[in-house]
Amino acid sequence: MSNQNSSENILEIKNIEVVYDDVILAISDVSLNVPDGSIVALLGGNGAGKSTTLKSVSTMLASERGKVTKGSITYNGQRVEKLNPSDMVNLGLVQVLEGRRCFGHLTVEENVISGAYTRKLSKSEINSELERMYNYFPRLKERRKSQAGFTSGGEQQMIAVARAMMAKPKMLLLDEPSMGLAPQLVEEIFVIVKELNDKEGVSILLAEQNTNIALRNSDYGYIIETGQVMLDGSAKSLLNDDKVKEFYLGISSEGRKNFRDVLKETKKIKG
Amino acid sequence: MGSEILFFFEVLVGGLLAGTMYSLVALGFVLIYKASATFNFAQGAMVFFAVLSFVGFMELGLPFFLAFLVTIGLMVVVGLSTERLVLRPLMNQSEDTLLMATIGLGYVLEGLAQAAWGVEVRRLDLGIPDFPIMFIADSIGIFISALDLTAGAVAAFMVISLAVLFTQTKIGLGLRAVADDPGAASSIGIPLKHIMLLVWSAAGVVALVAGCLWGARAGVQFALVDLALKALPVLIIGGFSSIPGAIVGGLIIGSTEKVLEVYIGPFFGGAIEGWAPYVLAVFFLLKRPEGLFGEKIIRRV
Repeated sequence: MSNQNSSENILEIKNIEVVYDDVILAISDVSLNVPDGSIVALLGGNGAGKSTTLKSVSTMLASERGKVTKGSITYNGQRVEKLNPSDMVNLGLVQVLEGRRCFGHLTVEENVISGAYTRKLSKSEINSELERMYNYFPRLKERRKSQAGFTSGGEQQMIAVARAMMAKPKMLLLDEPSMGLAPQLVEEIFVIVKELNDKEGVSILLAEQNTNIALRNSDYGYIIETGQVMLDGSAKSLLNDDKVKEFYLGISSEGRKNFRDVLKETKKIKG
Repeated sequence: MGSEILFFFEVLVGGLLAGTMYSLVALGFVLIYKASATFNFAQGAMVFFAVLSFVGFMELGLPFFLAFLVTIGLMVVVGLSTERLVLRPLMNQSEDTLLMATIGLGYVLEGLAQAAWGVEVRRLDLGIPDFPIMFIADSIGIFISALDLTAGAVAAFMVISLAVLFTQTKIGLGLRAVADDPGAASSIGIPLKHIMLLVWSAAGVVALVAGCLWGARAGVQFALVDLALKALPVLIIGGFSSIPGAIVGGLIIGSTEKVLEVYIGPFFGGAIEGWAPYVLAVFFLLKRPEGLFGEKIIRRV
């Protein structure tokens, strides 16, 4: 199905299985590739294994007592199994965690600056990097002196992305950037994500429940359910796929439907 | 000036300066609270451990300065082992678990210190007399101990350096980030173990300095562990996460306990300075639980 040449992939996940606490199987078989410079969407509902997949890549699983028990993850030609999150950031891979996770008591600006922790920069270099980020996120510049904990959800998401970008990553893992945000804000954030991908050349692996906006803004998509990849394909083909339309976008030949209706119909067919 | 007023000022100044010694102990708590959001019950034991080792090294024949450096080294080792043996295995556990672990750590340190250096009370002579400075006594008629004054100056110095460390340096930013959200801090590559090592070592050094000043006054003995818990009301008043709070809290506790002791104490049969600070602390817990300078608990709804 996915026919990308391996040398062009910045990230390759091959048949991984992930277990938490030695007993809870979170992912049974996930394989995916992220071609260098592209945006890849990882789609699925709650508990499908999206976050777990991202955390296995950023090696943050260990801190949650999770383990990759089978398969392999190769980032930029290097196996990640023996590395820690700090190493991954140094290698240019940064994860933006689900729920934004800003440093609430730090100012917006301190939050963004903290992202450059692993880089050895002078004061003036930090300031120019900061300005570069403010160009993408002008809203953050207005609020630079506010305590991050008191900013809106959308602003916090921007802080989290800007903070991650301060590490000058080659690859960004975004975990549900749309969570809990108004549709207009979600659009705004995706526009910036796309812009970052275009201008900074950063590859992006994006976990989302919001299938529609995620696919509209990515190149390729994978749909996972209960820890397995069910379907993958170019973003365009997935957007036009009948199954995806029906189950994930709530659209059928008869027009828009909600998930409950779809379920009722499947029951009727079965019964 | 009337002698009544002079006496009041003398009590007040003595209290304020004694308060700086509480502040010093409280600083150690604040450091660890800021980086791991845990009240470190072992801080009192660290004070005891540090100063007892310091005195022990001097008894072994090391000169004052060298003994101080060796003890600082020892406190860094304590910090290192704490990170390795206690904090790392408990990473991502609840804060309560860590709190219990610090109580255990406290007992271990108390035991180790006494096993290594014995249980008898030691005298610590810093070369600073705990007597009123005659110069000040003669000119304005207030009796202030030289030790108190030194403690005040040392506390001021420690506070300023720690405040600069926290607000002006990259390490300080890292420390505050880890305190807010260790997971997020590690997601942007801040190495948690380095931060923890640094904080515990710094808390060890603060404990040593506080221990020296307390030890010079009260003798180097086991009671220092409980004395250090006086920092609890200081922190409740000042705020657990605030360095200026530790200072102001210490000053408030120091001055009120002395003033109350002198003026109200007799009505209660004396010795109220032992519990008066806790009454004050309860009042603060009811009216302003985050303390004077503590970070407001941010909760978005």
